[in-house]
Amino acid sequence: MTCQELDDRLDDWVDGALPAAAAAEVEAHLLSCTLCRERERRLRQVLAHAAALPRSVAPARDLWPDIARRVSRERSWSWAAGGWNPLALAAAATVVVGLGAVLWTGPSPSRVRTVQIPTPTPQARLVAGTVGISDPVLAAAARDYEAAANVLLETLQQRRARIQPEDLASVEANLDVIDRALAEVRQALVKSPENPELSRMLVSTHRKKIEVLSRVVKLSTAL
Amino acid sequence: MEGLAEAVLGQTLTHMRDDEDRRAAEKRLVRDAQNGDLVAFERLYRDNERKVFALCLRMSSDAALAEELTQEVFVRAWRKLGSFRGESAFSSWLYPLTVNVALSERRSRRRRDARIFATDDPASLEKQPGAPRPEAGFDLQKAMATLPPGARAVFVLHDVEGRTHDEIAAMLNLATGTSKAQLFRARRLLREALGS
Repeated sequence: MTCQELDDRLDDWVDGALPAAAAAEVEAHLLSCTLCRERERRLRQVLAHAAALPRSVAPARDLWPDIARRVSRERSWSWAAGGWNPLALAAAATVVVGLGAVLWTGPSPSRVRTVQIPTPTPQARLVAGTVGISDPVLAAAARDYEAAANVLLETLQQRRARIQPEDLASVEANLDVIDRALAEVRQALVKSPENPELSRMLVSTHRKKIEVLSRVVKLSTAL
Repeated sequence: MEGLAEAVLGQTLTHMRDDEDRRAAEKRLVRDAQNGDLVAFERLYRDNERKVFALCLRMSSDAALAEELTQEVFVRAWRKLGSFRGESAFSSWLYPLTVNVALSERRSRRRRDARIFATDDPASLEKQPGAPRPEAGFDLQKAMATLPPGARAVFVLHDVEGRTHDEIAAMLNLATGTSKAQLFRARRLLREALGS
């Protein structure tokens, strides 16, 4: 075996990928050649250095605020352009998918006969939805959810004639509970704006609202 | 002996349950993030940022650029989150995305300027308590920065990250033979750098 041939096989040799016969040839050459032994030693050193590199390294600064800002900016742009933003779209789409098998299970007060679904007043609702939220990312998320809810409410308003009064009453009752919960979480956020649990509650309550509205819209589509 | 076996079995089952709990918790976070929950997405970010940053650092050999790349990875992950079906761990889904972001960014930057090593103190990024320091004075990260980009990417994925040539070929859209050739080139150049 020449030194060049050894050089060609050195990678497979150190990786343990050579068949036994070829490995024996390499081993024999290494025993007799100082230059190739040095090549092998250096390669093993390089690999030892590579193996010693940490696979997990903390960045020198917190990168999340910039990520959150960019994600938030994309959502704002998307909404301003007149389309669904990713957040609202995901929220609505996820709850709508598979709803064919889900029936409305909310309370049905039979004595209610005349029910008004609140007509959305988009700007007022968007502003109200962010009162007390100082975190711009969270405020943007709340705005997006309210905007998504407005679209669903408008749809519902157009289809209200198709829905049973009892079901409309259930929608109204559920929305009322959810809106009160949202107001309470927003109030709590004024006192503790950094509380991550409150942020989570705000987002999940908004999502619940979208879910309720999506269910009814879906049902009204099937009627 | 029987008691020991039971203890080992119990420990194994506990680890399995912990893993299942972790996977379940991650699935919930992914589902919430897919529904637009930014708080859940931040948790996913916190759980994965170090591995993503480390890989970006190896691929770019530039701490400031690695920070930009890490941010780009998570912004793209947010955009693509809807396509994640939860069949693998979130980190596994994130891995090829990270590699592709690092490579595409490198390609676009290469057109603008020559790559330079821009870390103020690269050694500080490598300090790992108790880790072996095979040969004093040799800075592998610095030597890696001088490699041709394709060779560096394959070296990082194979010798630092432990990926196979088949996996690398699939991620980088190469033939397996090309991956092996790039690794051969990278190792030879690094051997020479070690000897210089």
